[in-house]
Amino acid sequence: MGKRILITDDALFMRVTLKNILTQHGYEVAGEATNGREAVEMYKSLKPDLVTMDITMPEMDGISAVREIKKVDPNARIVMVTAMGQKNLVVEAIQAGAKDFIVKPFQPDRVIESVQKLLGS
Amino acid sequence: MMRVEYINPFVSAAYSVLETVLGVQPEKGQLAMRPGIFTTQQCSIVMGVTGKVEGSVIYGMSLATADKIASHMIGQPIRTFDALAASAIAELGNMITGNAASLLSDKGYTCQISPPSIIRGSNVKISTVNAPALVVPMLLGEFGSIEINVSLQERK
Repeated sequence: MGKRILITDDALFMRVTLKNILTQHGYEVAGEATNGREAVEMYKSLKPDLVTMDITMPEMDGISAVREIKKVDPNARIVMVTAMGQKNLVVEAIQAGAKDFIVKPFQPDRVIESVQKLLGS
Repeated sequence: MMRVEYINPFVSAAYSVLETVLGVQPEKGQLAMRPGIFTTQQCSIVMGVTGKVEGSVIYGMSLATADKIASHMIGQPIRTFDALAASAIAELGNMITGNAASLLSDKGYTCQISPPSIIRGSNVKISTVNAPALVVPMLLGEFGSIEINVSLQERK
């Protein structure tokens, strides 16, 4: 069975795009969260192998969500996928526990490379 | 004070994002200044910027251009401008503004962006509240053009 991934992005287009890229490479999309709070709740119930996380979202931003997920599971693998690539945010996200930081727009290969590296498959 | 240096990061970001997303080499049109109230194009992406510089950024385009861009981003022709098409267009604005915010932050103007809104319909008047906007059209070959309106002020 493919590794299970939770996608987090408030934009429908980005969730569809990430889902297509991941499923085409044999990964299973465990769920789609539209904000940070949903991602935390879905992480607890779905226990995915990896999470993709946008930053600018309503309700709860992505960096706060990374901190919350890390409290639940210190070993959580989270990749930031965001249009906001400024250094302070990259540093903040990595300090919060994110494993990689992908700036939009991205090439599909960049996403797959990151996921493969973190999941070892 | 609306400074020209605030619009340059948006032009740089637009070049790289539009080239990556649409696969065209954008060409920059003539820079112009606009008073604080103007009539939008048929489809507009409206975004807010907050931080050391604050204000709004509006990307305007025709419905035909919005349809072509959304079709290209989704990977198949769109039949109607549905939620997915609107989300694709909004994401384009999000990517340009997000990349521009990174460039502004590199210059010391640390800022955040708000999620985009899409306005469709002609003859909509948008007020950028007492601040003029700098406008740059980006010409996108077969896709048409996108007009970038930047109205930012340094926070006192």
